[in-house]
Amino acid sequence: MMMERFEVIVIGAGPAGLAAAIEAASNGMQVVVFDENSRPGGQLFKQIHKFFGSKEHHAKIRGFKIGEKFLQEAETLGVKVVLNASVIGIFQNREVSVMLGDRISHYRANAIVIATGASEKMIPFAGWTLPGVIGAGAAQTMMNIHGIRPGNRVLMVGSGNVGLVVGFQLIQAGCKLEAVIDAAPRIGGYGVHAAKIARLGVPFYLSHTIIGARGAEFVERATIAEVDQNWQQVPGTEKDLELDTICLAVGLTPMSQLARIAGCQVADLPQKGGMVPVCNAFGETSIPGIYATGDVAGIEEASSAMIQGKIAGAAISLAQGYLSAEDFQLRYASYDHSLGQLREGTFGHENKGRTDLKTTDDGYPLSQFLFRKGYLADGELSHYPGVPTSERLNQELMPVIECIQNIPCNPCQDACPQGCIVIGSTITNLPAINQSAKCSGCGMCVVSCSGQAIFLVDVNYAPGYAAISLPYEFKPLPAVGTSGVALDRSGAILGEAEVISVRKTAVMDETAILTMKVPVQWAMSARFFKQL
Amino acid sequence: MYRIEEHPILSAFPKGKLVKFAYDGKTLEGYEGEPIAMALKANGVMVHRYTSRHSQPRGVFCAIGRCTDCVMIVDGMLNVRTCIIPLQEGMKVQTQDGLEKKEQDD
Repeated sequence: MMMERFEVIVIGAGPAGLAAAIEAASNGMQVVVFDENSRPGGQLFKQIHKFFGSKEHHAKIRGFKIGEKFLQEAETLGVKVVLNASVIGIFQNREVSVMLGDRISHYRANAIVIATGASEKMIPFAGWTLPGVIGAGAAQTMMNIHGIRPGNRVLMVGSGNVGLVVGFQLIQAGCKLEAVIDAAPRIGGYGVHAAKIARLGVPFYLSHTIIGARGAEFVERATIAEVDQNWQQVPGTEKDLELDTICLAVGLTPMSQLARIAGCQVADLPQKGGMVPVCNAFGETSIPGIYATGDVAGIEEASSAMIQGKIAGAAISLAQGYLSAEDFQLRYASYDHSLGQLREGTFGHENKGRTDLKTTDDGYPLSQFLFRKGYLADGELSHYPGVPTSERLNQELMPVIECIQNIPCNPCQDACPQGCIVIGSTITNLPAINQSAKCSGCGMCVVSCSGQAIFLVDVNYAPGYAAISLPYEFKPLPAVGTSGVALDRSGAILGEAEVISVRKTAVMDETAILTMKVPVQWAMSARFFKQL
Repeated sequence: MYRIEEHPILSAFPKGKLVKFAYDGKTLEGYEGEPIAMALKANGVMVHRYTSRHSQPRGVFCAIGRCTDCVMIVDGMLNVRTCIIPLQEGMKVQTQDGLEKKEQDD
């Protein structure tokens, strides 16, 4: 039997696998990537939001655009990406069996990278098998790849970043997000992601679980109820919601089956999301030459997966003689630093699952209100370094940065041509207003903030009126002169507002800056414009 | 009715040509190459099959070919994962009842 041989076989063409392939190929290695899907990119092409991080992490670039860039790089470097190819076995001496169509082919590699990612967790409840109950990933596939709205009225179960981000995307696709629920007493994902949907009026029901879904042939309603500290349903708290879609975003599990088939040592590590292959710092498993990288080795963000993939690719290049020890050390040090940055902060490795944090790393109070409600209380704003003093706001147009958790992200600092925003070299620091710089009102910070947490506030727009500039990513885009209402951070209507400017250029990458005129007393509370 | 006409971020969803296909004796339209399940959803179809023992309805769940909840009978073949199999002109798609086609269908 003929067995084709490759220097590197990568399993999975998602962010981690592609990064590993690109790194190895850039060092001169011959690489093939197998993926069971008909499209490459894993989940990257379903991510239409701007990513967090700093420049080196592709921050403020939308996920699908990072995916396009990766595919292009892979192609330029001669990486062979084979789609509709399911790897069904890994055997001794790094032999790999691949199902292609109706045939099984065998390959051998000097090194194998398992980058199979993760699968979604589910929670069973009465009626959970009804059509209309879908995974959050399914919602993204339907609306962001195929242009199909998953439903009209949607309940999101899970308030982690996936639930929050997909919830926002559902609204962008034209669905009504009825509520976000979570059994935990606080919102699990970034405060800025929660705030984006809270100001659209989406309620959060925390300490709530789904009791059941009902409908004859498909979902027509759902019952939710409060749970106590022991996760037991509190009698009498049931609430019925009329809707047609229930979206589950309750976590991910590493897909480590291939690592187990290969005989790699695995361990059940809750902080990594479940059963994962045991890897060294370079992603190598207990079997020499077999690496595991990305979500399969521990659930993290796509940005981290990309760096982990590069580390594995570099380690393979070193082991196979394609990279010198010195070059490897240099590269590894830089990747490791980059990865370390993403693992810091309020949601970082050390703080995972912690609910006792009272202050940020840089000593500011962490808003417990934000964790409970999904938005900041008016009175809390002045605690934070990104919010100008009222004296300064009274004098001039200023950015108001409502970013108050340590999230590894700094595009706002780079975006401001005036140097108004300071984060420093620790990218998890809260952005602070530079007291000596003057805002030109260009709005680049507004559109560069992946969390959509920056607003420009001009309290002297006209006598009695303030102008609020906000990021706007919905259709239809209101025209100048449109009257509507201003909403506060909770989505409650404050009163009449008028659109006085709409800016949208190529560099803003589809995030428009909408400026609305509101009575000056709402300058620090009006944060969204709603067309009537 | 479920097609996104206007999206704030995504300018267009690349589609093949509009084709006709048969669904339980009816003629529906969808775009060539899109997953069968998407064409069905666009036409408001929610139920793809009924389970063999309890006759419970099932539809799209994972949409990436993993869970097999959305299987139907396509051109006479049972258990076709409609969420990943591309639509072709003239396809015959039938609701699956356990491991058979549903009796009342065509």
